[in-house]
Amino acid sequence: MESATDRGSNQQSPMTCLIVDDSAFARFHLRRLIDSFENVLASEAANGNEAITEYRRLKPDFVLMDIIMPGLEGVETVRRICEADPSARVIMISSLSHKAKVEEAFAAGAKYFIPKPVTTDDLKKAIDEVLKNHRGGLPEAQQ
Amino acid sequence: MRLDFVRMFVDSTTELFQTVLGPTVGVKSISVRPSPVAGRDVLTIISLTGDSQGRVIFDMDLFTAMQLAGCLLGEPSPGMTPLVRSSIAELASMAIGQAISKINDSGSKLKMSPPIVITGANLVSYDQCFETLVAPISTAYGEVRMNITIQDLN
Repeated sequence: MESATDRGSNQQSPMTCLIVDDSAFARFHLRRLIDSFENVLASEAANGNEAITEYRRLKPDFVLMDIIMPGLEGVETVRRICEADPSARVIMISSLSHKAKVEEAFAAGAKYFIPKPVTTDDLKKAIDEVLKNHRGGLPEAQQ
Repeated sequence: MRLDFVRMFVDSTTELFQTVLGPTVGVKSISVRPSPVAGRDVLTIISLTGDSQGRVIFDMDLFTAMQLAGCLLGEPSPGMTPLVRSSIAELASMAIGQAISKINDSGSKLKMSPPIVITGANLVSYDQCFETLVAPISTAYGEVRMNITIQDLN
């Protein structure tokens, strides 16, 4: 299977992302923001276990991960994904943004943290940051 | 009753509503009741655990819920769909999550459960009768009432 790094060498191939949130609305909102960027394909997972399975299957360029989820919550999911793939680029997105929780997320392997509610600018800045050494950042937003 | 936490929940909710729903948000008179007064069509319940325990119940009528969801989704919704329920839950989760973050940064430990949305006519909470602070918040889409119960464990 073509890896994210392989795809990074071909600027015509779409960038891929995995949206992980138990909230259907949060997934809808993030997908709407992602769809405003050119050449990014989004997949979704509704819980931690599904996220791990989908990550293994898709090897996305980056992951958008919620924290508060029933069952396997976000920080532990990130830890498991990053243990299996230390190059994983995970952006945490949560309304829980206190210092201890943010530190816990980074210790688990997250590369960036966005407090909810998320705006297009927040998301673009985060994606550019985590991808700057990978594919040179995000394509410009559609006009 | 942890009135300091209650204030943070009300303030965070008001701030979030102003950010997400627009500037026409205000808190009407806040009152203390012997138990929650939630009795409208749509309830969103978030449980709180940690150094303190309690819950926050947001209650609103169906019309308000549909209007709020329409604002969040960017289009009117045909009914109480799963996406509408989810948008109402997410609004409550963001509001309480922001307050929980401030509370934890101030040194207390508090966690929240994922929100549960219950719909039906004239819903009433028959939970244990804990003292509850009721804060009606007016928005451009209708009134959302917060029922907050939170007490220290010791």
